[in-house]
Amino acid sequence: MESDALWYKDAVIYEVHVRGFYDADGDGAGEFRGLTLKLDYLADLGVSAIWLLPFYPSPLRDDGYDIADYGNIHQAYGTLDDFRMFLEEAHRRGLRVITELVLNHTSDQHPWFQEARSSRTNPRRDWYVWSDTPDRYKQARIIFTDTELSNWAWDPVSKSYYWHRFFNHQPDLNYDNPAVREAMWEVMKFWFAMGVDGMRLDAVPYLVEREGTSCENLAETHEVLRDLRQRVDAEFSGKMLLAEANQWPRDVREYFGNGDQCHMAFHFPLMPRMFMAIKLEDRKPIVDILERTPEIPASCQWGTFLRNHDELTLEMVTDEERDYMYDEFARERRAKLNLGIRRRLAPLMEGDRRRIELMNGLLMSLPGSPILYYGDEIGMGDNIYLGDRNGVRTPMQWNGGWNAGFSSADPEQLYSPIISNPIYGYQAVNVESQRRFDHSLLSWMKRLIRLRKSTRVFGRGAIELLAPENHRVLAYVRSLGSERILVVANLSSQAQAAELDLRRWKGAIPIEMFGGNLFPPIGDAPYLLTLGPYQFYWFRLRRL
Amino acid sequence: MAEASVLSEQFLRQLTAVGEVDILIGVPTFNNHDTIERVVNAIQIGLTKYFHRERCALINPDGGSTDGTPELFKNASVKDFGMLLTSSPLRTFHRVTAPFHGIPGKETALRTVFAAADLLRAKACAIFSPDSLSVTPEWVDGLIRPVYREQFDFVAPAYQRPKFDGLLVRGLVSPAIGALYGVAIHEPVGGEVGLSGRLACHFLEQDVWEQELTTFGLELWMATTAVVDQYRICESFLGPRIHAAKQFGPDVTGTIRQVVGALFLCLDRHEAFWRGREGAPQGLPLFGFPYNVALEPLRFNRRRALDTFRSQLEQLSPILEGILTPQTLLEVRDASQLSDRDFRYPDEVWVKTVYEFAAAHHRSAINRDHLLQALPLLYRGWVNSFLQENQKADAERIDRRIEALAGEFVRLKSYLMDRWTAGTGGER
Repeated sequence: MESDALWYKDAVIYEVHVRGFYDADGDGAGEFRGLTLKLDYLADLGVSAIWLLPFYPSPLRDDGYDIADYGNIHQAYGTLDDFRMFLEEAHRRGLRVITELVLNHTSDQHPWFQEARSSRTNPRRDWYVWSDTPDRYKQARIIFTDTELSNWAWDPVSKSYYWHRFFNHQPDLNYDNPAVREAMWEVMKFWFAMGVDGMRLDAVPYLVEREGTSCENLAETHEVLRDLRQRVDAEFSGKMLLAEANQWPRDVREYFGNGDQCHMAFHFPLMPRMFMAIKLEDRKPIVDILERTPEIPASCQWGTFLRNHDELTLEMVTDEERDYMYDEFARERRAKLNLGIRRRLAPLMEGDRRRIELMNGLLMSLPGSPILYYGDEIGMGDNIYLGDRNGVRTPMQWNGGWNAGFSSADPEQLYSPIISNPIYGYQAVNVESQRRFDHSLLSWMKRLIRLRKSTRVFGRGAIELLAPENHRVLAYVRSLGSERILVVANLSSQAQAAELDLRRWKGAIPIEMFGGNLFPPIGDAPYLLTLGPYQFYWFRLRRL
Repeated sequence: MAEASVLSEQFLRQLTAVGEVDILIGVPTFNNHDTIERVVNAIQIGLTKYFHRERCALINPDGGSTDGTPELFKNASVKDFGMLLTSSPLRTFHRVTAPFHGIPGKETALRTVFAAADLLRAKACAIFSPDSLSVTPEWVDGLIRPVYREQFDFVAPAYQRPKFDGLLVRGLVSPAIGALYGVAIHEPVGGEVGLSGRLACHFLEQDVWEQELTTFGLELWMATTAVVDQYRICESFLGPRIHAAKQFGPDVTGTIRQVVGALFLCLDRHEAFWRGREGAPQGLPLFGFPYNVALEPLRFNRRRALDTFRSQLEQLSPILEGILTPQTLLEVRDASQLSDRDFRYPDEVWVKTVYEFAAAHHRSAINRDHLLQALPLLYRGWVNSFLQENQKADAERIDRRIEALAGEFVRLKSYLMDRWTAGTGGER
């Protein structure tokens, strides 16, 4: 493993659900042993880090985000020893491991909560947020609008209300209580000491509540994060904290602090705007959000993504934009969930390979460290007939055989049905068949990742947006030191011409990075490029 | 495909970058420094508010402004959409401005807009006047929606006019078109208009460009051509229409020469059509919510106008004898003899006057320029009569009065058909 403390700035992260990746023991669900067996696949794909969805003991009422024990592994996924083995094998292949840490809340089955609700005088009572009325913190919005009517839930055991920003079976921890902070630090220490390289901090904006506020992004919440970061830095090196804060960039910026809170944070508003831009065939949504994205400390990094285990969240868009997204991407009512769309990348792109490539090309070249969602590298589909977000968490499709090569169990035993429709089904879309061909999406993704990793410009460089008259063409220059990369992308379904003002780089020769071919040198005249539908170029600007 | 000569290279380059659009709005300008920013902002807000998903472009053929109009057009910007009760635009808002080729004038400007609509395959277009002081974002909806969503091809504006404003249109052009073309278009020469892309292309293909008809009466030609060629037409209520005072605008004589001259040319061109039409004019579907606001009434110096009418009537008699029938001329003369208080230009006489001028124009009974220069005198007479009669009338009553006049135009249509080929002398 490289010892670069800023490794996350150059990382290509692969998000995977242990349960959904590979079932080695034939019980119908994936586990760490299975995941370990597939590490060669991930190394071959070229990703540099693996982000694991929650694997802790849990009643699994929210796919593991309802943790019942922070210090162990869910029995369905194996044992702590299995995890240690996985970690070791991942590191041996140069793959870092990022785990989930749900700071904000626990499962209502967690012993802490069981103790807290047992009596009003229990020492752990104050580890959660209680109230005799459901009228406190009225200004806090409800996040899961499809299922929750209030942020307060009645506890019949202790006959009072407890606070929950997410599902009612996920009581929020009380970060005003120093004992809670200590307990969480112990959890972090446990996993970091084991060798985990980073932690995604789930739902960080909601840690602290204050009357008269939205209970989001409060200064006290940032204080909690600063405290945890200080402890991490004091005891470990090369560890990374990734904030999940579905907020506007100016608010997310606060989660970096002065480089003393989180190392990374997701750039949520960029994601829907990439989809919007390709549907509108107009760069405006992307340009607007990039221009509204503040500078971040040099040691920090955005986490960018196209799709993940959740719905395509539309919280950070205007009402008009949301309506547009629903109309264009969720014509089937079932595809909607909360304020979002529960679909994978390929179905959102209507299976159009050119659009899938373009979206990935943008993801890999815009500022930030890209995060791929398992299965999207082969163009897996989804199943909107499964409840909640389970439709995008179906088993990985390894081959066209029994259970898509995911498990030897009876199909009825699988934790989730495999995608089997004629378009995205495992017989049409699977790793094995795509491995065989150089032109498959999988092979193309490998090349793209390799190219992305061939330079640090994408991870660490500055971005300068160009403004060709043709609004269907998005163009920018990434630069780091003396290195320059020009990215030009046609967002439209038709061929386009664009004239770029590249006079500042006069004399440089654009070298197309995928093929290595030289293009005419840049002169004083506008640089004319023609692009096919959804085509994009990465040019290294070389002075020879 | 548009003719290459219509669009300048500069224009073409900008249009190429715009690409295909759903909505195209043209604002022809010439030294509109004082008003252009307001018009552009209103259009931009309107597009954002009502057509935020559509691909839109705003184009500005400029006739060679020297007061910075194109720069203002390009740079006009809306600072805060939220304060204007709309969200920010989803798409890039394109603005293209360039001087146009050919003779400066509205004809070349609109031809440029139509060519751009053709090139960009616009589904709906609108033309906005650059000097409107009363333009609102709702005008965009009013002119575009009927085309874009309701499949109309031509949207004529309907304005709320100050009392006695627009009498040339209300007392001559509109009722004449209604009677002859069978369609009640209230504002056939409005400064704003909406039209479908296919109608814009149709206009572009006509063989009228660079002729007198389109040089001076483009809007009227557009409206009547849409009727004759059976495009779907409607009206849209836009509210009051207030324009900035023009420093070098035409006077009454010039306006009549342009507008009525165009009407007469259209009648020539569309003779086969209007001869075959019968009955009262059909009302058009009206979009929008008509309302009234108190507008400053226009003021006329009736006394002076009446004196002019009387004195010039005799001077122009030799010309009028070549245009009007002796009976009509006699009735006009009789009217001129009445006292100021009793002065009336009866509807029937006015309609016959108009029709006889049209027929004489058709036959080129006298030089057409001279003919059109004689009409303003009689128009002033009719206006005086109308003002005298309706001095105390409210807007509603004036509307009823105009309707009655329109009925007279219908009733006397056969009179026009009789006169169309007949001479003046001795025929009654």
